[in-house]
Amino acid sequence: MRKKIKALEHKAVIPTASMADIAFLLIIFFMLTITFEVDKTQVALPKAAIRKEVPKKAAYISITKEGVVRVSGGDEISTVVPLETVSSFALEVTSIDPNKEFVLKADKEVPYRLVDEVIDALKQAQVKVVYLLSEAKPVEEQ
Amino acid sequence: MKVEKKKLPDEIPTSSMADIAFLLIIYFMITTTFSARRGLDFSLPKEEKNPPPVIEKEESIHIQIKPDGSFLVDQKPMDLNDIWDYIKPKLERNPKKPIIINPDPEAPYGKMVEVFDYLRNLQKKYANTYPWINKMVITIPTRREIEAFWS
Repeated sequence: MRKKIKALEHKAVIPTASMADIAFLLIIFFMLTITFEVDKTQVALPKAAIRKEVPKKAAYISITKEGVVRVSGGDEISTVVPLETVSSFALEVTSIDPNKEFVLKADKEVPYRLVDEVIDALKQAQVKVVYLLSEAKPVEEQ
Repeated sequence: MKVEKKKLPDEIPTSSMADIAFLLIIYFMITTTFSARRGLDFSLPKEEKNPPPVIEKEESIHIQIKPDGSFLVDQKPMDLNDIWDYIKPKLERNPKKPIIINPDPEAPYGKMVEVFDYLRNLQKKYANTYPWINKMVITIPTRREIEAFWS
């Protein structure tokens, strides 16, 4: 009598045990690389080809199309201030750290006189470098 | 009668762990706003007690930006891309000839960035061909400075 050979049965299972580990590693990566935006003002930035990385702790001055000025020392969320007080804000920041970099985040449609006043205030506060925040210019336009 | 004890599996159920983790990832990805973190660096000259050397308008290349966004280079209307042909012979003779960007108070800020970026890009583009271009001086005086020196 011939013996019937029983086929070896494999359970159809996809191993998902390591999936959670992968996902958690990804979460940790995202959490470490995330940088919180200091200034959340929505502006249409001018386009530029020369762009340098802005230092993480830089102070922000933003000007919207409507002329609303917001400032932030770099750590806290930005607050709306009148244009005249930008110079006292800049002085306050540079008195704590004379080498503090400033970032100017202005809408491209802003009339230049507002930017001029801000730059003048920064010059008077002995600020050394200002970064004019910009978007990348497409290569064909350069 | 002997009651049979129900056997419980001695395992922690981890099958839903991946789902939870992926949901968290999706949440982080959606709430992340991509912020602009790059810009044109612009070194401000030191405000000194003694007045800086006075530059005569004639000794410099004067780029004016009109309220409509058009350019006047040394009083001549010019396209942005023609500026290089105009300034090149001048800078070849004297690379330290200052280029002054003077936007009208009502000119859009974007135009100032455009000119400044254009000039800085020239410096980068021709750094090897024309070594003198590294000496190029670009200044953007404020209204207060213009009034103090040129009025």
